[in-house]
Amino acid sequence: MTFGQAIALALLQGVSELFPVSSLGHTILVPALLHWQNVQRSSPSFLAFVVVLHLGTALALIAYYRDEWYAIARALIASVVRGRLSDDRSERIGWRLVVGTIPVGILGVIFEAPVRRLFGSPAPAAIFLLINGLVMFAGEALRRRQHASGQRYKPIEDLSYPASVLIGVAQGLALLPGISRSGISMVAGLLFDLDHENAAHYSFLLATPVILAAGLLEIPKLLVPEAHVVLVEGVAGGIAAGIAAYLSVAFLMRYFRSNDLRPFGWYCVVVGAISFFLARKGIIT
Amino acid sequence: MRVIALILAVVFFVLGILYGWGKINFFTESGAAHTHHITHLVICWVLALLCLIWARFQSTPTRSVR
Repeated sequence: MTFGQAIALALLQGVSELFPVSSLGHTILVPALLHWQNVQRSSPSFLAFVVVLHLGTALALIAYYRDEWYAIARALIASVVRGRLSDDRSERIGWRLVVGTIPVGILGVIFEAPVRRLFGSPAPAAIFLLINGLVMFAGEALRRRQHASGQRYKPIEDLSYPASVLIGVAQGLALLPGISRSGISMVAGLLFDLDHENAAHYSFLLATPVILAAGLLEIPKLLVPEAHVVLVEGVAGGIAAGIAAYLSVAFLMRYFRSNDLRPFGWYCVVVGAISFFLARKGIIT
Repeated sequence: MRVIALILAVVFFVLGILYGWGKINFFTESGAAHTHHITHLVICWVLALLCLIWARFQSTPTRSVR
């Protein structure tokens, strides 16, 4: 992997991890589209590189929501010490994040390896990207139907615990390359009466521990001798992914104040369909 | 509920040890590197910790504070 490829992949990861367009799908499809034969996704050096990108993205999310994470951590510790739940907003959000993260973790541990083995090629990634777009259209349509009768939106802290679990399960579907972590959990949040801004906010908070854990648990991959080959690329890539992720979350939080998921749905449908066509024709492999 | 939470905590803790030791391989990639079992160990211990927190909430009056 060249330095230029490393930076390009890092920027792609940082942006596509948070935009509802699937980072996993893009990191399969883009190298295939550009015929980067030297980027071997299963090589130890590439896996180590991906770990650093995840850590960069997670740290960017923590930095963006630093005050909120501090308040949540304080509130959670206080409630455990007290042994009782309170109506504190940060505590309520914190426990919902804990409950929502459990299914993602369990699904990830059980299904990550077989899913990667079965679907880690361009054609399935293209199909799932197309499905991701259709899910966003369906989610938007259902949300509009739900709220046509004047039903009010909820704040994040009023989500029920079952709803938090189901949003977590939805996020677990992002193991499938092409299904977006933020997109699918935003759609689930919309269906549980969050507005777009709160659905995006909750989705990014819920993604943070998952992305961070994905990076931390894979740190041993950084210790293999082959990983040292990409040391410079890894450090530069981690910083680039972090900057891209920070700017992406800042942009998206402004975007979702007054916009919806449909432009991303169109993007996923069009890119997914074209990529599937190219994969079927053998143009990308 | 408190007893169930404590039993689950012990079960997850022991499962974590068995994964870390390499004695069990459920839900692991066949022929996987050692790191994959460490992942299972960590997940099991996190679940054990959450069960202990659940037990902690069961051991005090349920009335919420404002």
